Parts: sequence; structure tokens; C-alpha cells
Amino acid sequence: MPRYLERIAGAAGALLLATAPAMDTDVKVGLVPGGPHPYFANWEQGAKDAKKDFGIAAADYKVPAKWELGLQNQLIENLTAQGYNAFLIFPGDPVATNSPMADLQAAGIPSIATAGCTKDPTPALFCFGTDTGHSAYLGAKELIKALGGKGTIVHFTGNLVDPNTQLRMDAVAQAVKESNGAVKLLQTIADIDRTPQEADEKINALLAARGKEIDGIITTAWLPAVSSATALRRIGDKRIQMVGIDHDPVVLAAIKDGFVHGTMLQNPYGQAYIGSYVMEEIVGHGCKVNDKAPFKSVALTNRFIDSGTAFQGIDGVDHFENSMKAVTAELMKTFKATYLICP
Amino acid sequence: MTRWGRLLRADWIGLAVLIVAGAAALSLARPEFLTPYNIDVILVGFCLTVVVALGQGIIIAIGHMNLALGATGCLVAVAFGGSMQFWGLPTWAAVLFGLLLGTACGFVNGWLTYRSGLTSFIVTLATLSIFKGASLGITEAQSFNGISDAVKAFGSDRWGPLPEMLLVAVPVVLATALFLGRTIPGRQMLAYGGNPNAAELSGISRARVVILAHTLSGLLAAVAGMMTVARLQIATPTIGDEWLIASFAAPVIGGAVLSGGHFPVAGTCLGVLVIALINQALVLLAVDPFYVQVLLGLLILAAVGANRLREARLGTGPTLRLS
Repeated sequence: MPRYLERIAGAAGALLLATAPAMDTDVKVGLVPGGPHPYFANWEQGAKDAKKDFGIAAADYKVPAKWELGLQNQLIENLTAQGYNAFLIFPGDPVATNSPMADLQAAGIPSIATAGCTKDPTPALFCFGTDTGHSAYLGAKELIKALGGKGTIVHFTGNLVDPNTQLRMDAVAQAVKESNGAVKLLQTIADIDRTPQEADEKINALLAARGKEIDGIITTAWLPAVSSATALRRIGDKRIQMVGIDHDPVVLAAIKDGFVHGTMLQNPYGQAYIGSYVMEEIVGHGCKVNDKAPFKSVALTNRFIDSGTAFQGIDGVDHFENSMKAVTAELMKTFKATYLICP
Repeated sequence: MTRWGRLLRADWIGLAVLIVAGAAALSLARPEFLTPYNIDVILVGFCLTVVVALGQGIIIAIGHMNLALGATGCLVAVAFGGSMQFWGLPTWAAVLFGLLLGTACGFVNGWLTYRSGLTSFIVTLATLSIFKGASLGITEAQSFNGISDAVKAFGSDRWGPLPEMLLVAVPVVLATALFLGRTIPGRQMLAYGGNPNAAELSGISRARVVILAHTLSGLLAAVAGMMTVARLQIATPTIGDEWLIASFAAPVIGGAVLSGGHFPVAGTCLGVLVIALINQALVLLAVDPFYVQVLLGLLILAAVGANRLREARLGTGPTLRLS
């Protein structure tokens, strides 16, 4: 363990012990995404609600200034110095993020890979996120159903360094393969989830040149979904069916107006809410993760817990938050009994 | 020298040939390349990137660099969007606010560079962090969607294949070319960029040149930031993140000298078109996503190399002239 982390952990521990009587517990959870991205907005509310509901001393959402692994690692170190003693981390890189997690583990600070997984062997307690492959598969199936089982589709997806991207590409390819040739995957455009301008340029270029060949669009990352919905509205095309992802207001409005067939909701709120609760139980009350729990296996890890996903079409689109809160409540009912062993 | 001889020695002629050949090849490979929608897509990309490239080019002209260009555009974009969404500012007032903010950011860069004696690299590296941090603080990493209909229409509407954004981009290009080529402050900037010591000895004020260049760069970043908001119809704190490479690549492809003194506006415009064509080709030809970045880099290198080779053969080019 690096010496600076030992010193930081020691100082933080002393500080927390000194302030403990004023708090319900001494748990300070840092929620650190890979960079600024609207997907993580609901982490903040989930953390706030968990703090209130479970009496956590702190559950704070802290964003690195840019999508750079170095900046994320630096932020984690800074938060450790400030006394944070539990982390929910979106891995900036599935392998490289194991390094700061190992430093945290050596300092006695637990971390959960949240919204994306680190690659086994990993110091993360477990990975808690959307089963992205499954979500992409379900989304592609919904799209194929909307197309009447045949047609030509394109796939717009996220950043190649995102551990979820390859899983999504494989899942869409699998759904297409199961159509036995009735559906053709014309093209996949990836690496367009960093800035909306990049997504806008590439998606419009493809629609402009090959729009007539395209019957359906599946997007499996936030910014491509927003850019695709905007592009379809701009060209006024309701012939092309689209299934998006997440709940950006642009996508939801496009569903209401008939430009988008539906979207695959994820549960970032529940990730933050349940993740913070788990840290309170582990750090504050001495619980441990049950190694024999029924974790799922995904490409990167054998300790995966699905935070839930659901298709949202035009019905009930105005109340999509309720769907995710319901999923969260359902998970909470059995989470402790299933995944934790408490004294 | 004959008119044809002068034409062949122009900075931009190699790029123009490259663009025509590239466009012809793409049209043959994909006939849809020449549809009005596709031309609109290319021109929209051109409008945004050319303003960004000129924002960097003004700084390159004096031998400096502005690493905070994207962060300035980002700050202006979120302030522009936020002022409409939360303060309810009318479009004209929000635009004015954005222009003033960008100009102020640029002035701060210039003033700090001049007063501190530090290189613009260091100063703008620091202000990049400040402006970016401010954008994140304002937005809390969220997007602002409350963009006025007029702004959205400006980013979407077109006449045939021509986007309305040309109404901003074309005057910006012409004004920059006129400024650098025909006005005293513009010529002074190029003179200062070519040889700062000689320029100062001949009475050109270093303070005025440095502060003016950075201020204009901030103004252009503001214009680009607001145009991006118009196009995307949202203001997000990731606007500008990808500007840095294009802001240097387009002028360099166009024949600019990074050490200052020579900044061809026409060449830069063609450099922007080359990048737009390369990006479009990578999409249209369905290049494997894992190799897009590799090919993009190789093609940009090839474009720069081809232009430099032509200049070397003709015995022209800024590097040779300076030597």
C-alpha cells in the first residue's frame, strides 16, 4: 500500500473518530463517475435519498472535470484525503481502475464498480450496474419487433474504452443473428458518447448518405440517443424506427411525438441509492459481502448484480421515474438478505 | 510570373485539388454523397469547425497557442443556454451575454500572458481548467435544454443544401481574412508572430498585439460555442472537448506556421473541409470503429504531407520562406 494512502487513511480515520458522536455512523461515501455525463445525474439524487433514509454521514457525488483516467484517480485520492471511506466508482478503464481500487482496499476502504465493471481479478466488492448486454439485446429485440421482424438497422453506441461498449455491440449482433437473415446490421458507429457534437456529425453523415437504406436505429449510449432523436426530428422522419436508451428529455419528447419508438431505461438512481446503502451496512455496521450470493457472470466479472432495466414506450412516458423507483424498491426488498452477511 | 504560375504556387491549391479528388471519389463510391441533406451535413460541420480553427489561428498568427479555446466555448455555451433557461433572457440578450463573456475570457488570457510573462501555453492551460471547472460548476454536469426556438431554428434550418449557419461562418471567415490581410492591427499581429523582437523594435506594442489576439480568439470561441448550442439544441459541459485537435490540425493542414507570422485563412478553410471529408469518408465507408482513430490520424498526416511536398517542389511554403 502506498505510504501516502496509509497516512491519508490514518488521518481520515482519526478525524472521523473525533467527529463520530455527531453522526449516525462515520460512513462517507464518494460517488465518482468517469467524467461529466448526464447519465450520472440521478446518482446525486439517489445518494441524497440514501443519506437521508439510512443516516449516512455523507454520500456525495463528485465529478472529474474530464473523461481522463488520471483525473478520476486524482479525484479519488483527494476524496480519500478528505475522509471518504467508501466509494462507488464508474471504472474509467476496466483494467486500469483496478489499480486505484487496490490502493483503496489496502487502506481498508471498500469500493463497488458501479454502472460499469472492472475486470476480474478485481478489488471491487462487486459490480453493480445495468446488465448492458442484456439491455442492448432487449432493445434490439424491441426494435426488430417494431420493424415487423425484418429490415436494415444501424447501431450507434458508446466509447470504445467503456467496458460496456463491446458487450452492447455483441448483444445487438446476437439479436440480429437470431433473425436468421431477416434483419441486417448495416453499420455500427462507436466512440460517439463523449461530446454531442461528435455524435451529431457522424449520425447525420450516415443518415444523409444511407438514410434510405435504414429501417431502424438502435442506440445504446446516452449522447447517440439524443443526437439520433434530434436528427430524426430535424428531418421529420417517422419511417425509421428507433429504440434509444436512458431518459434524456430530448429522447422522451421524441417518444411522445412519435419520432422514437421507445427507450431502454437504466437505473442510475437505484445504483447510487442501493450502493450507498450497502456501504453504510459494510463500513458502518460490519456487514460483509456474501461470497456465495447468486451473482451473475458477465464478460468482465463473475460478481455482477443487475440494477435493472425496462423498455419504456409511449405509454407512461411522462412517469418513467416511477418505473425505476419501483425497480429499486424491488431490489431493496431482498438485497441485504441475498448479498450481505451481517453480524 | 503568369497568372497560372501564381495560382499553382498558392497555399491552398494542393488542398483544393485534394478536396475535389476526394469528393469525386466519395461521390463515385456513394452517389448519395451529393444529396442536399449530405451537403448540408458537411457544411454545418464546416461552419462550426472553421470558426474554431480561426479562433486558434488568430493566436497561431502571433506564435502563441490557446489551449483554453474549447473551455471558453464551453463556458459560453452553458452560460448562453443557462441564461435562456433560468434567467429567461431573450435570444438577442443571451447572444450578447455570450459574446461579452467569451471576449472577457479571451481578454483575461491575453492580459495574463502579457503581464505575467509566462507562455500562452501555461496561461491557457490554467484558464482551461478554470473555465472548464466553472462550466461544470454551473451545470453540475447536466445539460441545459431551455434553448429558445429561434436558436434551435438557426441550427436546423437550411435553404436547399445551404445551412443558415453560413450566415455567421462566412462573415467570420471574410472578416478574419480582411483583418489579418488589410488592417494595421492584423498586419502588426503577423509581423509580431514572424519576429517579435523586430516587431517591438519597429514600434509595435507587444501588449496590444497579445491582448488583442487573445481577445479575438475568445470572441470566436464564443461564436463557435453558441453555434454549437444552436446545432445540438442543448448546452452541455462537454461542448468544446474535441475542439483542440481540429483547431490546430485545420490551420496546419492549410499551411499555417505554428511559430507565427503566417496564417492563411483560405488554406485553413480548406483544411477544415479536408477534415470534414475525411470524417465523412470514415463513416460512409463503414470503417471498423476500432480503427477509425488510426485512419483519421494517418489521413490527416497524409493531407499535411501532400501539401508540404507540393510546396517543397515548388520552392514555396511558409517554412521555406522564413528560412
